[in-house]
Amino acid sequence: MVVVRIPSLLAVQAGGQGTFEVEAETVGGALRQLPVSDLLIDEHGELRRLVNVYVDGEDTRGLEGLETPLAGASELRVIAAVAGG
Amino acid sequence: MGVLLLCGTRKGLFLIRGDDARRNWDLEKTLLSGWSVFHAVQDPRHGDLHVAANNWVYGGTTHRSSDLGKTWERSEGLGLPEESGLKLEEVWHVEPGHDSEPDTLWLGATPGILFRSGDRGESWEPVRGLLEHPTRDRWQPGAGGMCCHSVQIDPADPKKMFIAISAAGTFRTEDGGETWVPRNKDVAADFMPDPFPELGQCVHKLLLHPARQDRLWQQNHCGVYRSDDRGDNWERLEGNGLPSGFGFPLAIHPRDPDVAYVIPEEGAENRVTSDGRLGVYRTADGGASWELASNGLPEPAWGAVMREGFASDRNDPAGVYFGTQSGSVFASSSEGDSWTEVARQLPPVLSVEVGEWS
Repeated sequence: MVVVRIPSLLAVQAGGQGTFEVEAETVGGALRQLPVSDLLIDEHGELRRLVNVYVDGEDTRGLEGLETPLAGASELRVIAAVAGG
Repeated sequence: MGVLLLCGTRKGLFLIRGDDARRNWDLEKTLLSGWSVFHAVQDPRHGDLHVAANNWVYGGTTHRSSDLGKTWERSEGLGLPEESGLKLEEVWHVEPGHDSEPDTLWLGATPGILFRSGDRGESWEPVRGLLEHPTRDRWQPGAGGMCCHSVQIDPADPKKMFIAISAAGTFRTEDGGETWVPRNKDVAADFMPDPFPELGQCVHKLLLHPARQDRLWQQNHCGVYRSDDRGDNWERLEGNGLPSGFGFPLAIHPRDPDVAYVIPEEGAENRVTSDGRLGVYRTADGGASWELASNGLPEPAWGAVMREGFASDRNDPAGVYFGTQSGSVFASSSEGDSWTEVARQLPPVLSVEVGEWS
């Protein structure tokens, strides 16, 4: 079981829910269970460029990306990159 | 029935309710906060609101509401097939389908994409005839990306449609979207080695007149044009009162096919309203001549109006509306004779459309 926390804009799109408890083997497996998964992962199965995902504080881009295993992890945090205008 | 203005902005959607006389206007609180609303429209067939919205981080999507914005549903899984090698970049324009197809909607997007929905906007499929168009490798993106921003349906025949892509040009289908032919004869593309190519024109906005379906109006990067034969031939309409042929928005009269409105800008290299004023230019003779219709508009002003930022209603006299990059919305209930600012200090306005409320 891992707790997934998503930003407030996504929580609005998830019916007001900002925290999810999911069972998954990988980061991608966890994200795909969210009702906003298509806003995080594009149509070709890649994490959107400005979406950052941290497993217990560690950026998954420095690990194995969406294939990063979740064994022993407790928290998955989705954070939007500092971008926009 | 009151007029409902749907104002898409860089930071959400704003609804402005007008009374029956179109004199008093009430600005409502922001909807879809956090989304950049490129275009929002009310489907005249059902009253649903449909929104093409984008977010820097989370991409493009559509939202719809059947209760004038109280609650929203988002379409999920909008995207392009992997074998196309393309990814959806932004969504630009939602167009309700023909009256005879009440569940159909069309969605223009980047890069040069048209989607069709057969379930009132719940899900979308890319139109293959455009996605796999044989000339696609000759299309070039404009500054806003390769956006499909105009979708026009012949009221007399749902299979006849027009789209415009910047910068691929105008395309026509007569088989409901299976095949598309470029229709850009005599439309300039001054930025190309051949200034009159078959395609590659930078159309900024394309409108079909609902009462005279052979007639199309076009505001292009390189001039204002009219076609009276469904895009087979185009006539350039400037040097006759317009300070510049460059501009983005375009509006037409709901009944009189000879009346159109543009808001020119200085030029491609200085995209501010011409002559230091927020000037609407109106033609009543099919573009043979244009007159300044700026009574009530601010001067001096160096604003800009985006391609989706201009609309007209179906009342008599017709109402005309536009929103600016400076966050103002102006309304005329007199076909452009005089203007009133009905909202100010909004985020930059990207689109204005007219609906109704009761």
